[in-house]
Amino acid sequence: MKIVVTVKLVPDTTAEKRIDPATKRLVRTGVDIVLNPFDEYAIEAALQLRDKLADGSTVTIASMTPESGREVVRKALAMGADDAVMLSDPGLAGSDLWATAYALAHGIKAVGFDLVLTGTQSTDAISGDLPGMLAEYLGVPALTYARELDVAGGRLRVKRETETGYQTVSAPLPALASVTKSANEPRYPSLKGIMGAKKKEIKTLALADLGLTKAVGSDGSRTEVLELATPPAREKGRTVTVSDGPEGARAVLDFLKSRQLL
Amino acid sequence: MKNVIAFIEHKNGAARRSSIEALCAARTAADALGGTVHAVVAGPQAVAVAAALKAYPVDRIHVLDDAALGKAGIDPLVDALESVARSAGPSLVIVANTMIGRDVGSRFAARVDAGVTADVTGIDVKDGRVACVSPKLGGTTITTCAFKNTEYGVAAIRPNVFPVAATAGAGEIAELAPSDKTYSVTVEDDVEEAAAELGVEEASVVVSGGRGMGGPEPFTGMLHDLAEAFGGAVGASRAAVDAGWISHGHQVGQTGKTISPPLYIAVGISGAIQHKVGMRTAATIVAINKDAGVPIADFADLLVVGDAFAIVPELTKLVREAKAAHA
Repeated sequence: MKIVVTVKLVPDTTAEKRIDPATKRLVRTGVDIVLNPFDEYAIEAALQLRDKLADGSTVTIASMTPESGREVVRKALAMGADDAVMLSDPGLAGSDLWATAYALAHGIKAVGFDLVLTGTQSTDAISGDLPGMLAEYLGVPALTYARELDVAGGRLRVKRETETGYQTVSAPLPALASVTKSANEPRYPSLKGIMGAKKKEIKTLALADLGLTKAVGSDGSRTEVLELATPPAREKGRTVTVSDGPEGARAVLDFLKSRQLL
Repeated sequence: MKNVIAFIEHKNGAARRSSIEALCAARTAADALGGTVHAVVAGPQAVAVAAALKAYPVDRIHVLDDAALGKAGIDPLVDALESVARSAGPSLVIVANTMIGRDVGSRFAARVDAGVTADVTGIDVKDGRVACVSPKLGGTTITTCAFKNTEYGVAAIRPNVFPVAATAGAGEIAELAPSDKTYSVTVEDDVEEAAAELGVEEASVVVSGGRGMGGPEPFTGMLHDLAEAFGGAVGASRAAVDAGWISHGHQVGQTGKTISPPLYIAVGISGAIQHKVGMRTAATIVAINKDAGVPIADFADLLVVGDAFAIVPELTKLVREAKAAHA
C-alpha cells in the first residue's frame, strides 16, 4: 500500500509571525521554518501503519513548498518516511487555500496513493479545511479527525473524534484521513534516521508536471487579502491578592456582576 | 454572489447554536447583497429542526429528512448543500467553524472551486462584493479577505461572535430530493463520552485548567463543577493535555482550539503565547493563579492571586446561588 502524508512548512510555533503589508503574505525569512506540528501526528500514524502491515507498504511525504524547504522536508524523511515529493514552482507562490488544495491534490495523484494522511490543521492558517478539499479533488472518501486508524481487507477504519465523543467510521480504499493529536506521540528522528534521510529521494514536481486545467498562484486564487490590521492589544486589568478561598470567590463574583456576566 | 446559504448542523432534533448564528449572519449579508437567505437542513429529524428555524430570519428552508443519512457521514450533507447552492446560483455559503461545519464547507468549496475563508469574525459587503474578516497568526493580525474568480464563497464563522436575532422571516419549507448516490462511508457507531457538555468552541463560559492543577482530578472535579454551574465547558492548556490530565479536544491554544467565549476563566494557567493565541479574543478573561507575576496578568481583565483549590469550589457555590436567585 502506498501511503502519502501531506506536510506544510510553517513558522516555528514560538516565533513571532508577521505578514508583510506590501505583499500581504506571511514573512518566511528570518524565522525558523518547521514541519507543521499537527502534521507530525499524521507522519507517525503512517509509519506505525506501514510497520504494522509489514507488507512492503511505503510512506511518501508530499509538500507544496519552495526549494528552500527541502531540508525541513528531509526531517520528515528522518522520522522514517521512505521518500518525498515537493511541489515547487514560482507559479505556485501566493496560492490561497483553494489553489493549494487543487494543486496539491494533483501532485498526490501524480505520485499515486492508496491512503492519504494529513494533520487536522496548520499552526499558521488554522483553517482545518485542507483535508476535506483534498479528498474532493482526489475523488476519495474523507475520514477526518481520526484518533485511531487501521486498514484491513481494503478498508480504512477510524475512530473519528466528535465534540462529545467519537464515531467509528469506515470506507473502502483509496481514502483520506486527517489525524488528530490524540492519535499518537510522534517520534524524534534517530541519528540513524537522520543519516539515512540524506540518501532518500526528494522528487520535485513543477507546475507543468501537475496537469492543472485551472490557474493557481496569486492570480488563480479564489480569495485575495484586501486589508491587514493589527488588533488593539488587550489592556492590563486588575490584580487582586486574596488570603483565602471565600475572599477570592467573592472578588470574582463581584467582578462578574459588575460586567453583568451573572 | 447574491444569495446567502446557511448550513445547519443539528443533533437530536435541535439546531446547534452556532448554526443559528450562521443563519443570522446570512440574513445581514443577504440584506446587504439584495438576495435571499436559504437554510439547508439534512439528516435525521430534519423536519423538526426546520420547523424550529422558522423563528429566525430565513426565507427558505431546504429540508432532507432521512434517518439513514446519519449513517453515511459527511457526504450526503455536502450533496444537500451543493444541490441548494446550484439552484440558488452564485452565493455565499456560511457554515459554523466547527468540526462538521469545516468538513461540509471545505468539501462543498472544492466541488464548486470556491474560495474559503476560515475562522471568520466579521462579514462585510461593499459594492456587492463580500469580504470576510478573520484573525490570523494567533490573533496578531486581522485580515480582510474578498472572494474573486468564483461564483461561490464559503465563510466558516467562529462560534459566539455573530449575534442571534429571533425575528421570523418568510420561513418557507422546501423539500430536497434525496440523492441517488450510494455512499461509501459507513458510520458504524456513535459514542457519547461527555454528552451533557458543550465543546469549548461553542460554550459561552469556558473554565480552563493548566499546569497548576497538578493532576487529572480537578478536570473532572472542581473545574467541571464550576463549568457546570455556568452551563459552560472545561478547557485546558497544552501542559495539562500533554500531561494526559484531559483529552486534546479540550485544548485551547495554538495547537488546540481558538475560541471567543463571552467569559473565559483560566485556572492555574500562566498564559504563555501558546495559550494566549487561543483565547485572547474572549470578551472577558478572569485568571486565578498563585503567582502575581504570570504573563496572563498583562491581558486578563481580572487576576485573582490566591489558592485556586480554595477559591474555585467557593466560587462554584456562589455562582450556583446567584443562578438560583435568578431562576
